[in-house]
Amino acid sequence: MSDTIINLTNVITVLLLLVGAFFMLAGTIGFVRFPDFYSRMHATGKCDTLGEGLMLVGLIVYGGATFVSVKILFLIMFILLANPTSTHAIAKAAYDVGLEPWRKLDDRVEWLDTGNTDDGRDDQDGGEER
Amino acid sequence: MASAELFGTIGMVDVFLAMALLIVIASFVSLYRGIEGPGIFNRIIAVNVIGTKTIVLLVLIGFIYERPDFFDIALLYAILNFIMTIAATRY
Repeated sequence: MSDTIINLTNVITVLLLLVGAFFMLAGTIGFVRFPDFYSRMHATGKCDTLGEGLMLVGLIVYGGATFVSVKILFLIMFILLANPTSTHAIAKAAYDVGLEPWRKLDDRVEWLDTGNTDDGRDDQDGGEER
Repeated sequence: MASAELFGTIGMVDVFLAMALLIVIASFVSLYRGIEGPGIFNRIIAVNVIGTKTIVLLVLIGFIYERPDFFDIALLYAILNFIMTIAATRY
């Protein structure tokens, strides 16, 4: 590269890395703080994919048009295919086992008071183990 | 390639080191949910998330030490992470 102090490639790389790291940290905070299994997966499944893609794109911009960049491009394409697939597989496995989704407290109390059990979901198994 | 400096003494390698440190901190925060989280599915998600962060960490290490071998390891780690998650959810 040129020997200027700030060139455009480094600035774009640092910006993409910072935005990607922000998305990753936001996904991690959501993964720790959310109350339910499904909402935790909602936090991690999208934020991690986007943050990782942005960081790897920044590294591609830094590396230039070499063979290494093509390799990282294949890595990005595989991650964009595989990460939503694995998230969907985990969610479907959890729903088949019978984890019930978290709902707000007022909604649940009202639903229990009316005695309406015809809610369309079976709610008796796996309620404690979220 | 790595000799271009950003602000006087701060090179790009230092920026990569800071990003790697952020990713390691995020991995340890995720590990809390992996240990503490109720049920087995939270642990499966924690392993998946930490594996996803490890891929970026491997690519950053490959850029820090300028060794292109780490990109192959990152690609292999991505494939193993995906296969491990699918196998863990099937059984």
